[in-house]
Amino acid sequence: MFVLPPPPRYPTGGYPGLPPGQVIETNNTLTHPTGPEYQLVVGEGTYVLRDDLHLATPPPHPSEAPIHNPNPLATDIKPPTCGTKLSLVALAPRQPSHSQLHRFSTRNSTRSQVPPSIQESPHESHSQASDTGPHGINGFASSPLDGLHTPVFGEGNAALAVINGKDSKDPLKRRKPKNNIVKSNSSFVSRVIPHESLSKRLQEHNPNGHYAFANVNRALQWLDLTSPTKEEHLTKILFTKAHALCHDINQITKGPNHLDIVMGFSTGDIIWYEPMSQKYTRINKNGVINANPVSDVRWLPNSENLFLAAHTDGSLVVYDKEKEDALFVAEEFSPSAEDVMSDAGKKTHLTIKKSVNSKNQKANPVSYWQTSSSKINAFELSPDRRHLAVVSEDGSFRIIDFLKEKLLHYFMSYYGGFTCVCWSPDGRYIVTGGQDDLLSIWSLEDRMLVARCQGHNSWVTGVQFDPWRCDERNYRIGSVGEDCRLLLWDFSVDSTANRLRSNSNLTSASMPDEEEVIHQVEPRARTAMLPPVLAKTVDEHPVAWLGFEEDCILTSCKSGHIRTWDRPKEGATNDDSGRSTTSTSNP
Amino acid sequence: MTSFFGRLKSGNAPTSPAAGTTPLKKDPNAPEATPLEKLLLNAGPLRGDGSDKFFGFENFGSTSYCNSIVQCLYYSVPFRDQVINFPARSPPEALERPTSSSLPKINTNLPNGQSSALSPTGRNSMSSPNSRTPAKPATTPGATNGAPGTKPEDNKDSPEYKKKQALAAGPVLQMDYENANAYGMNESLFSSLKDIFEAVIAHRSRIGVVSPHKLLEILRRDNEMFRTPMHQDAHEFLNLLLNEVVENVEQFSKSRVTEVGESEQSENGLTVTAGEVVPDRSSTASHLNSGWVHELFEGTLTSETRCLTCENTSQRDEAFLDLSVDLEQHSSVTSCLRKFSEEEMLCERNKFHCDNCGGLQEAEKRMKIKRLPKILALHLKRFKYTEDLQRLQKLFHRVVYPFYLRLFNTTDDAEDPDRLYELYAVVVHIGGGPYHGHYVSIIKTQDRGWLLFDDEMVEPVDKAYVRNFFGGEGVLACAYVLFYQETTEEAMMKEQEAEGLAAAKQATEMTEETVTTPKANGTNGYHHHTYNAQTPTVEEEDQFASLNHAATAPPLAHVQTNTEHHPVEHVSTNVPPLGAKKSNLMLFKKSNKEDKERKAAEKELEKQAVQKRKEMETQRRENYRRQEEELRAALAASKESATLEERKRVNGENGEPSTTADGKGTNGFGSVKGVSGLSRFRHTSMSLKGKPKFWGAGKDKDKHDTTDDTSHADSEDKSDEKEGSKNRFSLGRKKSTFKF
Repeated sequence: MFVLPPPPRYPTGGYPGLPPGQVIETNNTLTHPTGPEYQLVVGEGTYVLRDDLHLATPPPHPSEAPIHNPNPLATDIKPPTCGTKLSLVALAPRQPSHSQLHRFSTRNSTRSQVPPSIQESPHESHSQASDTGPHGINGFASSPLDGLHTPVFGEGNAALAVINGKDSKDPLKRRKPKNNIVKSNSSFVSRVIPHESLSKRLQEHNPNGHYAFANVNRALQWLDLTSPTKEEHLTKILFTKAHALCHDINQITKGPNHLDIVMGFSTGDIIWYEPMSQKYTRINKNGVINANPVSDVRWLPNSENLFLAAHTDGSLVVYDKEKEDALFVAEEFSPSAEDVMSDAGKKTHLTIKKSVNSKNQKANPVSYWQTSSSKINAFELSPDRRHLAVVSEDGSFRIIDFLKEKLLHYFMSYYGGFTCVCWSPDGRYIVTGGQDDLLSIWSLEDRMLVARCQGHNSWVTGVQFDPWRCDERNYRIGSVGEDCRLLLWDFSVDSTANRLRSNSNLTSASMPDEEEVIHQVEPRARTAMLPPVLAKTVDEHPVAWLGFEEDCILTSCKSGHIRTWDRPKEGATNDDSGRSTTSTSNP
Repeated sequence: MTSFFGRLKSGNAPTSPAAGTTPLKKDPNAPEATPLEKLLLNAGPLRGDGSDKFFGFENFGSTSYCNSIVQCLYYSVPFRDQVINFPARSPPEALERPTSSSLPKINTNLPNGQSSALSPTGRNSMSSPNSRTPAKPATTPGATNGAPGTKPEDNKDSPEYKKKQALAAGPVLQMDYENANAYGMNESLFSSLKDIFEAVIAHRSRIGVVSPHKLLEILRRDNEMFRTPMHQDAHEFLNLLLNEVVENVEQFSKSRVTEVGESEQSENGLTVTAGEVVPDRSSTASHLNSGWVHELFEGTLTSETRCLTCENTSQRDEAFLDLSVDLEQHSSVTSCLRKFSEEEMLCERNKFHCDNCGGLQEAEKRMKIKRLPKILALHLKRFKYTEDLQRLQKLFHRVVYPFYLRLFNTTDDAEDPDRLYELYAVVVHIGGGPYHGHYVSIIKTQDRGWLLFDDEMVEPVDKAYVRNFFGGEGVLACAYVLFYQETTEEAMMKEQEAEGLAAAKQATEMTEETVTTPKANGTNGYHHHTYNAQTPTVEEEDQFASLNHAATAPPLAHVQTNTEHHPVEHVSTNVPPLGAKKSNLMLFKKSNKEDKERKAAEKELEKQAVQKRKEMETQRRENYRRQEEELRAALAASKESATLEERKRVNGENGEPSTTADGKGTNGFGSVKGVSGLSRFRHTSMSLKGKPKFWGAGKDKDKHDTTDDTSHADSEDKSDEKEGSKNRFSLGRKKSTFKF
């Protein structure tokens, strides 16, 4: 018999299909499903599901009145939520990634028509570069692009340098946030649940293993992914109402006794959190600088203090973790600020409301840029630490030189918004995913769309390059989507080269002017279509995030399932010896 | 003026909420303005095109299917304009008005200079039985649920209460009269629809409630299946309404052809304001463009069938007024459309009759869109026949839909294959199953942003609200019909910019006003939309352009007299460059001058296309005729089929092919999948020929007759054989073809 489905009892829980909210706090569960449906068969071998860690969805805060019979047409605006995303960190110096190799081989590449790779240009060795020196011990030296001393954001500004300078004197003694989160009586933080033997588990932690920070609903969990009891969180923070929509770990300041995590919330607040000491600081408190939800956040490269947050009103704000908030009034640095207001017809795609070069650097924000006013869904900093790729809900994709605070390119989606973006390990390509169910591969050098990848049955929610399976000509891309599937793509420069050439002529002919940054939509007939090499359902729920690690692929879904897919065993990769030697020959 | 009304208001406090009177706020007892009224504060002078009218529709007991669809059509700018301008714009004075004295006299003099067009005098001042405490409490989002035990309409935030209020506040347009004679038409669904549109536009109030008595009366008179007070399928109604409108319009044009004698210029322009127009009831057929429904909603599908034996590929074109797509869990509209065009194997029971090698052969078949409609009505087949339960069941699949869309499943020779569509309306079905529930529509209006139309209630909503109806397990309200309309990239960018500006201003407003303004439901929408006022100029221009285009399109009326026979095989070669548009790429780059040139060129092309289109039209009609004949033959062959026999024979004798059975499969109730494709296209096509009773008797019965499925299959199978092609009969597939 047909029975009416029960009304959703947990309407604010993100994905509507979530199981009804529990009334009590529950524990994470770890399962080990096996079988052919938990294997990913690709050319290089078979990825096997190691385990499925299900993060417990916290019950609603008691202050929130339970909604027994919600009006399905209720017009009140619900705060944004998002699926589980992970921020990963390994304390040990990272094994030199292959991307370094790739970069060198790129230089010596026979692909003569390629203009000098963008990484080669910034050879200016600045005094500021010494700043980064001490961080080597923390694993920074092994960063793929370490040989290059890119300028640091805001280094030209003395007002900023003073504050930055204070910190780099003793890198081992890091500054911690001010407030203890466990003892906090803030109304923002509801409850903090550390593991009973937290310190013991921290000692037992394998420095090569990963710590993960994962958000689920209003909780943020700190997990040890290599622990035998990985389902037990190290610390769980429950926020009262706010949902952490994004988080990032500072790879420069990480150490056995220190981790800098920054989280952006649905309320616009940002928290700088140090899990080892359980200290935190709240930035943009109550949205004093920008009251819109934070959709993405990233530490700026080479910076201990500065991070970039994208708010849903289309602004990109650089904050300093140690500065106080101040009510933000746009500083008219660029004439374009008026343009936007006065002349709607002529729009600017990047307005500098406060430049990093502003002399007024006593308080946050450090800088404040406005893209359009459409929601920024994601952004990513390029491996060469110069460029910023920003994708928005209005279907725009910007490449910004954030050091110069200048918009370089403005592309548009085929249709619908862009949801995710990622740079290739060598910084030459950018891949975006969007609501047109497509991945789009863009070339930075050629300033154009290279190919579209069709295969998802719904919106793409996450995209990543697999740096362990990329070389100078071939790129492995992974993507996940609302269709609950993981797709893998092999993108080879050669295969699209011909098309690429002919198209680039067209494109460059249409805009010889360097200043013209706006690129029009490429019609379907003129674009290469790339099919996936693997398409497989990896979760029962829409997948929200994807990550590649040396030994595994990680996926996480909208209702808190984190799945780890082991890479093919060595023996299985015989057929692919060329690549496996590349990936094993690293010192 | 305002103060006068303010006094008036405060005089009788527990009356209807009236907008436009700021002093209202000072009166603690006065009812707070509804979000819609707030939205329409300082709305400026009324416009003649009806774009600034926001009327709810009264529900007479599960007639929300009608209300939701009519609203969607009203807010399609080209459709509304065509309705009110066909055959000619009637001056309001010429139209009969309801005589009921309890209703406000409709003043046709548009108060043009008047800034406050929401005239409180025009509004009925009945106090609602529930308005004991007229002041609305300040509501906080999320607090909409009443305590259990209280009546839903007691809660001031409940839709029930709001609907009552809307009805009480009025004005209520009792659409129980008809002006068909004034239009020179017979009474029909079209004339009653036109009555409603005209009345709404002519009324001096911006808000109110329409009671669509006549429309429902005609609908129920002519269509038995809508006679029951039961829950109906909104998509079926849409399909019926469009087909009826096509038919009514064409009938009218045909009848006009005979009276070519008096030739009078007919006003096609939209700029005509009421009062200026001479009653123009005798415009010549050549001035009438009766094909506008086709131009707006119709697209062409090409089904390519490749016989695996002889490798011969045959093509056949079919017209559609809307597309019904099968759903998959966790998919997108894009994906559903792509699946729709995926290759299908015709084998086993479903073999294809190849003309080339003769006999039933295995074949590959795929359907692609050859001509893209201006308005793409996408029907998500949420009501699916499940064999286990032997009844229709609602699919709660989560299907995401983007605000903008392009179609991947176009043919290689389709013109403008990259055409950009924008979502402008969503019809939402709320309920656990196909036999009960409620429909509302969420519509993007020209310059007031997105509004929720829930019967009598109209409420501004945030743009993000549109995304609440993707569906998913346990989500009762999910999108059922999506309306996408053609747009351009410039329009898209301009709109996004305007939205952005509005949002930015809203943000500042919010920070300033947070203390003073109670945060009621939809308040954000109010702020949002209030500042959206930059858009209209832009959009108007754009839409007007497309409308001009439609209006100047050559008339098709006289084509219908052409009964020449055209071989069907030629259809595919005659693609009329209808609405020839350059690619979006070009659109994007072009300057204004180019724009003009383009339009000129377009018109030129249009003219050139006339001839071709004529042929197309006749061919299409011929197609339909033949299909119909064939179906009739098929039906004759299927007489053994026990359960269907009776009904089908009746229909057959009537000369009406029995579409009842298959109609169901297509139109909303994807019960008989294999068959549905067939019926879908035959349907749309057939209705073009004008069969008002094609829903036939027994449709209702059919709907609930769970044993029907097999008999359908049987009969269908047989008809397929007769037609020379077999449909794959499978629940999972949507399409089928028949070759002749």
